[in-house]
Amino acid sequence: MPRVERSPRQLAEFLYLLTRQELKARYKGRLLGYVWALAHTFALAFVYWIAFKIIMGLEVTNYSVYLVAGMFPWVWLAVGVTSATRSFVVNAPLIKEMGLAHAILPLSNVMQEMAHFVLALPAIIAWVVLPGGYDASLSWLWQIPLMLLVQLAFVYPIALGCALANAYVRDIEYFLGIGFPLLFFATPMVYPISIVPEPLHDYFELNPLHALMQSWRSVFMEGSLDPAHVAYVAGWALALAAVAWLLYRKLAPRVGEVV
Amino acid sequence: MTHAVLCEGLWKTYQRHRPVGVKSLLLGAGPPVDTRFAREWALAEVGFQVPCGRSFGVIGANGSGKTTLLSILLGTVQEDRGRVGLNGNVASLLELGAGFHGDLTGRENVFLYGSILGMRLAEIRRRFEDIAGYSELEGAMDQPLRTYSAGMIARLGFSTIIHSAADILLIDEVLAVGDARFQVKCHQALHDFRKRGGTLVIVSHNMKEVSEVCDEGICLDLGRVVDSGPMPAVAARYQERMTVAGPAKGGARAAR
Repeated sequence: MPRVERSPRQLAEFLYLLTRQELKARYKGRLLGYVWALAHTFALAFVYWIAFKIIMGLEVTNYSVYLVAGMFPWVWLAVGVTSATRSFVVNAPLIKEMGLAHAILPLSNVMQEMAHFVLALPAIIAWVVLPGGYDASLSWLWQIPLMLLVQLAFVYPIALGCALANAYVRDIEYFLGIGFPLLFFATPMVYPISIVPEPLHDYFELNPLHALMQSWRSVFMEGSLDPAHVAYVAGWALALAAVAWLLYRKLAPRVGEVV
Repeated sequence: MTHAVLCEGLWKTYQRHRPVGVKSLLLGAGPPVDTRFAREWALAEVGFQVPCGRSFGVIGANGSGKTTLLSILLGTVQEDRGRVGLNGNVASLLELGAGFHGDLTGRENVFLYGSILGMRLAEIRRRFEDIAGYSELEGAMDQPLRTYSAGMIARLGFSTIIHSAADILLIDEVLAVGDARFQVKCHQALHDFRKRGGTLVIVSHNMKEVSEVCDEGICLDLGRVVDSGPMPAVAARYQERMTVAGPAKGGARAAR
């Protein structure tokens, strides 16, 4: 373990600096800067809208809102975990030369994507209210922060576990490249869970990603939050945190030797 | 006397920890490697101590374990056996530009690097003018780091680290990049650092430099301590061995 003494306060400052500087670096020299991140996710939603609504004739009320409300949290999850997975390998000099607190690195990646999501909230809300015709809801004031915390608690252990594993077995990042598209279609993201045929329906309900995404959609579209869904995701987050902690204790001390 | 750095019976081998592919995971890694004869140890039975406020040199041919030793002191590599005791905060200057981000400006990099070194944000803000002034790079502070030369990066790194709150500095042959005047400045700063009670561990191939800067030191060969004592004498005996006998067996080791 690193022998530099750090207080929690100093670690928090480091996390803040690392996250802010990485975001800054990413948008330096780009005229449209942050607009690219918005455009990318909206374009994805647009493609699915064409494919499923226009061409396949899928009947979902306010399908474009359904897509947008789910797509942004998904991008946070998928891009956050994928970039965090590479964080130990990419930051090898920091780990090897600086004796850095490892767990901060993937957390910074997850926070960067969370920052993107938070910055996108006005655009999401505008989409929900204007073309969607939904009323802005006062309950968002507590629902959105709560969901931000729940998703952060759910995503970070996954990100940390993948990053640790990827330091030893570099296949993880390629595996995720296949895994996330598969998961995307195995989770009701572009279709409602109601059209999933009966024998499979119960299994789809078990997917914590469904509970997470459905929570976001019901917040944005109805201003309501199903406590059962939130509790289910929080339970998963706790279990994942326990696994990630065990992995961290076992794998972190030698990360400096394998990256 | 209090010791800043204390190592006792350090052993380290790299044989057992390698990145593996899925194939070896699924099919098993084959028969277990007998580590008793796996290779030489990267470090074998290395021990030394450095009192507070002193400067310690580590010399030896390429591949003799100098960097492994520093990495263990820094805590990024785990020793297999032995004990490391450090009395104070450690900072390292092992690789040029490690911890620096090319797209960020010099100013932003000082903040990030300072934080990596364990400084508080308020502390970096307070000392920023000193850091910039010391590096003599005030004019380039708002330029992205990728426009800096190697010498400028070394200046920035050194300036930040010398203003950090470290008690023990680990330095791996990176000061040679600066120009002559900045090297003099570095040596003066390291001297002042030790006067304040700071401790230095320096790895170098520049025998003249280590002899001047370090009080005592060791010479490593294939992971073992082959010589120790006052630095100028250790350096002189090392140089003599290298020139008379040429590099010992194991062709990859460069003579200096």
